[in-house]
Amino acid sequence: MVRFSIDVIGQALVAALDGDLDLHTCPQLKDALERTLEGHPHVKHLVLDVKDLTFIDSSGLGVILGRYRAVQARGGKLFFVKANPHIQRVLRLSGMHRIAGFVDSTKEALERV
Amino acid sequence: MKNWIKIEFPGTSVNVGFARAAIAHFAAQLDITLDELEDIKVAVSEAVSNCVVHGYREKSGNVVVEASYEGPRLEIIVEDFGHGIPDIATAQETGYTTLPEERMGLGLTFMGECMDELRLYSEVNVGTKVVMVKNIPERQLG
Repeated sequence: MVRFSIDVIGQALVAALDGDLDLHTCPQLKDALERTLEGHPHVKHLVLDVKDLTFIDSSGLGVILGRYRAVQARGGKLFFVKANPHIQRVLRLSGMHRIAGFVDSTKEALERV
Repeated sequence: MKNWIKIEFPGTSVNVGFARAAIAHFAAQLDITLDELEDIKVAVSEAVSNCVVHGYREKSGNVVVEASYEGPRLEIIVEDFGHGIPDIATAQETGYTTLPEERMGLGLTFMGECMDELRLYSEVNVGTKVVMVKNIPERQLG
C-alpha cells in the first residue's frame, strides 16, 4: 500500500510518499500526480519527499520518470527529499541520480529550484 | 539442512507485494543483512511484476515462486506460464521493453544487480522462468 499527500508550493509540486511503491500501487500515484500537473500548468518542479517510502522498484521509478519528463518539458527539476540508503541504491541503479537532486528537506529543494 | 517453500498465486499486480514479503520472511531465516534483504525484495518484485506485465498481459494465469536454501546459497525461482520471450538476448538489454509506456526496461537489470546469479529460460507460448541466487556469507558474531 502507498499513501501520499500532494501540495503545490509556488512552482513546485511537493508530494510526500509513504509505503511501498510497486506495480500495484504506482497507478494511484501516477493518476494523482498527472491530475495535479494538468490542473496547475504553472508548476515546473517535482519534489518527492521519500522519507517514509519503504520500497520502490522499477514500476515505481517508471511513474516518477514519466512525471519528470512532464516537468522537464516545462523547464523544471526533480528532487528527492530524505531518501534512505535502500531507496537511494535503487534510484542510483536506475540512473536517477544523474537527473535528480538529493536533498535533506523540502525547504532545501524549494530553495534550489 | 535444506529448507524450501513454494507458493502459487494468480498473476495479478496485487500479489507482487505479497510475493516479495513472503520470500523476504523466508530469507530472514538466514543470517542476512537488511541490505541483502532489500536486494531480494527488489529482485522478487521485479520478477513477479514481469510475470504480470509481460508474461500474462491481457490473459490470466498463475505465478509460481519457489525459494530454497542449503547452507549460504539462497535460490529463488519465479515462473509464469504465459506468452514467453521470443528473443531472450534482446530482453536482457538494459532499457529494453516491449511496453515503453511507463516501463523503464530495468527489471532484469535490477534482478542481476541485486542477486549474485541470474538465469532466464523462456519458450514462446509456454512461459518464462527466472532463476536467481543470492550467496549469504557466513558472519561472525560480535
